[in-house]
Amino acid sequence: MTETAAWWSLLAAPALLLAGAVLAVAGDALLAARDAGRPTTVRTALRPLLEVPRLLAAQPRRLPAADRLLWRLGVVSVPVAAVLSALVIPFGGTAVADLSVGVVWFNAMEVVTWGGLWLAGWGPNAAFSLIGGYRFVAQGLAYELPLMFALLSAATAAESLRVGDIAQAQHGLWFAVWMPVAFAVYLAGVLAFSFLGPFRHPAGEDIAAGVLGETSGVDRLLLEAGRWLWLTSGAAMAVPLFLGGGSGPGLPGWAWSSLKTLAVLAVLVWVLRRMPVVRADRYVEFAWVVLVPLTLVQVLVPALLVLGR
Amino acid sequence: MDLTALPLRAAAARPHVLLVSTPGGTATRLAAERQLRLQDLPRARTPAEADILLVAGPECRGLRPAIDRLWQSLPAPRSRACADTPGALPEVLARCRAELAASPGRQHAGHRHENPVGGGPDAEFGDGRDEHDGDDEDSGGGHGGHGGHGGHGDSESPWGLPMAGQGEDRDGLLLDQLHVPLGPFLADWPDALTARLTLQGDVVQRLEVEWPPVGGGVGPPFWGEPWARAIAGERVDAGEGARRRAAAHADSLGRLLAVAGWTGAATTARRLRDDLLDGASSAELRPGVRRFARRVGRSRTLHWLTRGAGVLTAGAAQDAGMTGPAARADGDVPARYRTWLAALVRDVDRLADRSPLDPAEEGPRGGGAPDGPWPSAALVRVLPGLLEGAELAAARLVVASLDPDPDELAAVSGEVGAGD
Amino acid sequence: MESVLPAVLGVLALAGGVLVFRCDSMARATFALLLSLCCVGGEVALLGLPYLGVVTVLMMIMEMVVMAVFMIAYMMNPAGLMPMSMLHNKRGSLALSAAVFAALVAAVFLVPWPDRRGGPPPDTTVQVGRALMGGQMLTMIVLGFVLLATMVGATVLATRRGRYDRFGDALDRRTPRDPVGGGVGR
Repeated sequence: MTETAAWWSLLAAPALLLAGAVLAVAGDALLAARDAGRPTTVRTALRPLLEVPRLLAAQPRRLPAADRLLWRLGVVSVPVAAVLSALVIPFGGTAVADLSVGVVWFNAMEVVTWGGLWLAGWGPNAAFSLIGGYRFVAQGLAYELPLMFALLSAATAAESLRVGDIAQAQHGLWFAVWMPVAFAVYLAGVLAFSFLGPFRHPAGEDIAAGVLGETSGVDRLLLEAGRWLWLTSGAAMAVPLFLGGGSGPGLPGWAWSSLKTLAVLAVLVWVLRRMPVVRADRYVEFAWVVLVPLTLVQVLVPALLVLGR
Repeated sequence: MDLTALPLRAAAARPHVLLVSTPGGTATRLAAERQLRLQDLPRARTPAEADILLVAGPECRGLRPAIDRLWQSLPAPRSRACADTPGALPEVLARCRAELAASPGRQHAGHRHENPVGGGPDAEFGDGRDEHDGDDEDSGGGHGGHGGHGGHGDSESPWGLPMAGQGEDRDGLLLDQLHVPLGPFLADWPDALTARLTLQGDVVQRLEVEWPPVGGGVGPPFWGEPWARAIAGERVDAGEGARRRAAAHADSLGRLLAVAGWTGAATTARRLRDDLLDGASSAELRPGVRRFARRVGRSRTLHWLTRGAGVLTAGAAQDAGMTGPAARADGDVPARYRTWLAALVRDVDRLADRSPLDPAEEGPRGGGAPDGPWPSAALVRVLPGLLEGAELAAARLVVASLDPDPDELAAVSGEVGAGD
Repeated sequence: MESVLPAVLGVLALAGGVLVFRCDSMARATFALLLSLCCVGGEVALLGLPYLGVVTVLMMIMEMVVMAVFMIAYMMNPAGLMPMSMLHNKRGSLALSAAVFAALVAAVFLVPWPDRRGGPPPDTTVQVGRALMGGQMLTMIVLGFVLLATMVGATVLATRRGRYDRFGDALDRRTPRDPVGGGVGR
């Protein structure tokens, strides 16, 4: 049974999430440096962190007839939702809030980014930014149902919506092993809701960075941080859902949780630069015609198993 | 310790550079891209992201207003510089970074809010109007006045923004039309080209291509330079032509892959381009080029994402007067990038060819006729036909897969203007 | 705490509802409505139905955002940022909403609420599931099909292009003549 942690975990969880995000950014910087033919040193890995003071010093952007209230609301809600989503993820044997509907909570927080990014695209009153905003919604409509079915597969197999119970239910045999489709779809979903790598269509190069295009200063810092926090949170959630949570030989639970999270994170970061951006107009049809039936069949497998149990 | 000094030093240590090039500035652009890549100075994709505005290439009067608009939308602290030759770059960049570090900070900068070039609802607003704070807007962020432009009172067009017209779309629905200019400056876009789009939803309904008047004095295009010299009667090695053509294809591929969002492959393409221009030998380049061509040419994902976009048959291309790889490709975007890849692999084997370059040999974008027009004019001519009815996401890919060269267009700017 | 939070959410929900009528931009009206609905979701969760509460929030955000996209699709003039009145039939709607609100408040006080017998179950999600998928299974399935059929029917009726426009006269033709290809390549 997963325990609910002490009050200070409310501060520790965001800090851990941030640390994971920083590691992901550093890893991405190293891969970028290798591609570009620059030396790959510790300095290379840490250079992207210069963005933080740089963006803090930069002037926030002001545009004619922007809806600043909604814009700010959208920008802030992305990292906030990422942090809130992490509250239900057990770290070893403890979670900040082990809700009885943890999986649904995670999903709901992920959907908050829909609203957030939509507003971030809408607020500046600029065409490319707006296009980026609705691209994310189009992409969301495509990835959300397969992602929900993937989450449901894990929840059905464990007969619980509590994330801790799902981690406990994988006695030795990870869900990733016998539900590979759900696992793969979930990982793709993580890239999609952090709009990074192949799923950065809403912030794509072809529309001049889309939702990010008009932001500068603190706004941009928050949105960029939100993406990487989401990537980390998604990677961390994959561990209790599909990789057996904190269970493992020899090491304590928290160590296994972090190791597995970092492994998933490493895979995700590696994929970021290795694929072209998936255009939403192509992905929508693929998601509805191929992924939805596939994940539906995937849900059927644990459902039949549970019925026969 | 001074609280603003540290962030400013950070900005100077890794500034984001908005690199724009003017016609005739290809050599400088290539040098700048290379320097930014090696020094880990990220390229900004929009003015909002940038700290430094770097203009590569000779002064161009027709583009000055657009560059000024870009500059006005850069957030403070910021710095601006022009480099008209590759040699001027290191010094210019160093000066910009020193300026950033010593910047007085955000409160003193004379920053005005502007619409971004290419990204704003319309390129027309934001020029020389009075600004005043509106009274009906929530100033939520607490940063003082909001960015409302004048023009209240006119109930038809609030804030002086033009209202969108309406029109039937291809499904028979009555939809608003949004007018979005692409260019003249965008990341991975043929700089100085402006495509005025009329969008309904995500679909391009109409497209007009525009070209700024070039203020004279632009020499032969960088990519076609060996051919220009051969035409002038100079003896040029065929290997030199092959090298230039291969580098041009690598440059085009780098741009297409960047637009397609394949960061890793785009970087590889640009490294190959730089190596080619540095004079690396066939033996050094061959394995890397082959690997790159295999990876990109056989990528199912890239093919899936680009297939069916911008289909241009050989017949239609010939009618438009096209001669180069785009005409030979006879098909969609994948057909065109595969033609480039094949040409790249072929040319890398010929780098040591000492025979004289035949001026009639195909250049990077076609051509070959000694006194014919530069082939990019034809590439621009087919754009409206290919883009109307396409999704916006496909539009950029199609333009990148044709990749008209701004230098060549500058050389024929009168002709393009007359042609449309 | 147990009575303060529901009260705060209730007031916020009401305020959001009022804002819907006060905002002069479509986006703000949409998100004011969303705020109101999210507060309702919060209330449901506080009543001991966390699943329904969280799902309400989830669905409402998706719904509102999808609505916003339709808004953009039809009106792009730079989107709905233009100030515009969100009110139609002002007097009628005011009277109607006031009457409904009064009736609901009256019901709160007039209904003879039953006293609780026994304790609440440890996991109410199971109860919700049994209620929906047990006795009402048939209703839910029929409802689902009706909704789906309505959506498909509405789309088919709204678009001018039918089977013959997409596939031509040859009935065995597999590739539709769509101006923009999809991602599966049929």
